[in-house]
Amino acid sequence: MNQNTTIERLPAPRKPGRWSIPGWGLLQGLAVTGRNMVESYYKKERMTTIQYPEERAPISPNFRNFPFLVYDTDPAADLRCTACSICEKECPPQCIYIVLDRDENGKSLKRPKVFDIDLSVCMNCGICAEVCPFDSIYMDGEYELSTDDRFGGLLFGLDRLAKSADYHMKLRPEQATEVMARRKAEEEKKAAAAAAKLAKAKADAEAKAKAAAEVKTEEKGESE
Amino acid sequence: MSLLAVQFAPFPQITREALPLLPKTLVEWLLAGFGAPEWLVLIAGFLVAAATVVGVFAGGFALLSLVERKTLARAQNRIGPNRAGWFGILQPVADGIKMLTKEDIVPAKAEKLLHLLAPIMIVVPSILALGVIPYGREWIPVPLELGLLFFFAVGAMTEVSIFMAGWASGSKFPMLGAMRAISQMVSYELPLMICALGVVMVSGTLSLPDIVDKQGGFHLGFIPAWNLFTPWGLVAGLLFYVCSIAEANRCPFDLPEGESEIVAGHMTEYSGFKYALFFMGEYLGLFAISGLGITLFLGGWQAPLPGLDFVPSWIWFFAKLCAVIFSFLWIRATFPRVRIDQLMRFAWLCMIPMALLTLPAAAIWHFTGRGFLSWVVTVPLLLIPWVIITVIYNKRLAPTLRTYHFAE
Amino acid sequence: MIPLLILTPLILLAALGAVWKARPVHAALLLALTLALNAILYLVLSADFIGLIQFMVYVGAVAVLIVFSLLITRPGDEAEEIARRPRSLVTGLACSLPVLAVMLFIVSRFENAGQAVADARSVSIEQLGTTLFTTHAPAVMAVGVLLTAVMIGAALFAREPGKKTQTPSDS
Repeated sequence: MNQNTTIERLPAPRKPGRWSIPGWGLLQGLAVTGRNMVESYYKKERMTTIQYPEERAPISPNFRNFPFLVYDTDPAADLRCTACSICEKECPPQCIYIVLDRDENGKSLKRPKVFDIDLSVCMNCGICAEVCPFDSIYMDGEYELSTDDRFGGLLFGLDRLAKSADYHMKLRPEQATEVMARRKAEEEKKAAAAAAKLAKAKADAEAKAKAAAEVKTEEKGESE
Repeated sequence: MSLLAVQFAPFPQITREALPLLPKTLVEWLLAGFGAPEWLVLIAGFLVAAATVVGVFAGGFALLSLVERKTLARAQNRIGPNRAGWFGILQPVADGIKMLTKEDIVPAKAEKLLHLLAPIMIVVPSILALGVIPYGREWIPVPLELGLLFFFAVGAMTEVSIFMAGWASGSKFPMLGAMRAISQMVSYELPLMICALGVVMVSGTLSLPDIVDKQGGFHLGFIPAWNLFTPWGLVAGLLFYVCSIAEANRCPFDLPEGESEIVAGHMTEYSGFKYALFFMGEYLGLFAISGLGITLFLGGWQAPLPGLDFVPSWIWFFAKLCAVIFSFLWIRATFPRVRIDQLMRFAWLCMIPMALLTLPAAAIWHFTGRGFLSWVVTVPLLLIPWVIITVIYNKRLAPTLRTYHFAE
Repeated sequence: MIPLLILTPLILLAALGAVWKARPVHAALLLALTLALNAILYLVLSADFIGLIQFMVYVGAVAVLIVFSLLITRPGDEAEEIARRPRSLVTGLACSLPVLAVMLFIVSRFENAGQAVADARSVSIEQLGTTLFTTHAPAVMAVGVLLTAVMIGAALFAREPGKKTQTPSDS
């Protein structure tokens, strides 16, 4: 029932035992259905049927389905996920499989080489999204995922899981704006800290140079 | 029968009234022209007439299954089936294909022969009953002198076949359902027959075409002389209407086959085509009993207003049939199901006394001249007991306002 | 003649089956079949009214009554076999042979039974009704009294003992 339907309240039934026209309640009932029959043709708030697949029901912003990975601009270079495997360990039915990408020396590249989620195992609990420290995995809202391949068709890899931050913004505007604001604040804080550190290092270097210059003049003064 | 002896008589003229008889006339003319013997022409004529009736009503059954779903849907503020073709018009075809291709499951504890025989024995009486109803001035498949009696006699066969269906399935739900269905059918057949008896008394004949003929003419120039527009006819017609809903096992009397009560009652263990036969038997029975009600009380194929005789009579019959069936659908969409004890109580304590009262009312109406005086005399005879019954019902049987001790 | 020749063995077979069948429901259904075939016999003899009434009353009411009582008293009929051997052949024969003798005697008194069958004409309803309510009126009234007594007895039976009237539960 959407917000536009009005509930009709029939008048309260008469107390029994008193005199009443037999069959009057029946006629009232017939009038209700008759009204439905006629008005459902032209009154939009009566006809609440949503004809799938031509129309779709609006989903609420809290609706969650399977997870997806967020990238800022470029799925290859800008993926927020660092393959820390916290979500893999926290997942209750163990449906995530992560392989860290290492370079030729064995050093970690802080991104996943393989990130698989088995949709037939995933129970849509959202724990992976709760524990991720890098704002990289969130719950998606897509429900038209039916396939005829029972095993391969339900194993989603990195290519299907990675979706842009714009998509996240469209899907869950409140959550996405909050995440973006937090990330921007952190970045600014980091930049400010880096600038402060740089300034401090510069000031230290200047002080050191000044102290060295003073020592040098003292030595020169003594030797004269 | 050689092709050399082909000699065609001139084709008989087809009036608008006799249009539904066109297939029969055509076949008889063709066969007679080809020199077929008498008995062959006769038998072929009968077969084609029967095939016409069965074809029309089987097509009507298919259409009704769709119209019912869409009407029920609209009454419930939703759209009915609209995917299977433009406005769902191919939905009955899809249903038919589905029923035909389903696996036919017979339970292990079932009696094989009776289980097979029961659906057939439910469809056959309905088709037989359709044969005696006059659909038009010239269209009556089998003009029997005892047409009404024949109708009720084949209706009796339905009850035995419901028992067979219920018992032969060998499980609890069908047997319970069969018991309830039989008790309901037997209880509601009594008022049905008593109301029909009133009509027979007044019309003086058991032959259905003659009953329709006697309802011709108009009172005061514009009120049709149908049996419904007489005091006893009003009561008897209303009772007949309610009883026909009960006979056809339709809501609000569909306890024998209500899904939330008893799965599907006597039809539980049937699947595929046998279930389709049950379904068809039920709907054809609905057509038959509505047709009988129209014949007895609504004047059959008579036109409702004096000037409308140019419309063929069978169109009037089918228009009335559509109206009656629509009212059945409307009632189905509106009312909740009646419980078995409420059902029986209603039949035996309310309908049978009222039905019995229509008999003296009809007799008095006839013997006081069928005029204004008759109305004055018979209306109190019918109204006062009705008021008494209603008062008793309201006082003793109506639900009292519930008081909730803990919820307030 | 031919319909009679076809019908009579069928009726006899159905009746024998109704008596001999081990399972009660089968026997009841065969009884219904016997009565239905009897109705067809009446129709063949041009007794239209009585044939249809036989169908309506016997098959539609009596047979339904029998199967209904079977349904109520044996809800889970587990093929209770009735012993086929009669308990006492002597008693059975002593009861049924005189009845058979009387029936054969009555039938043999009809002369030209075949001719009577061929000449049978159906009687109009008006004639039937007039005869029933003038010549045989006492019999009709006696049947009415009997039926009233039966209905009163049934109503008394169905009442619960001890209570005046059964108050229905609310709603």
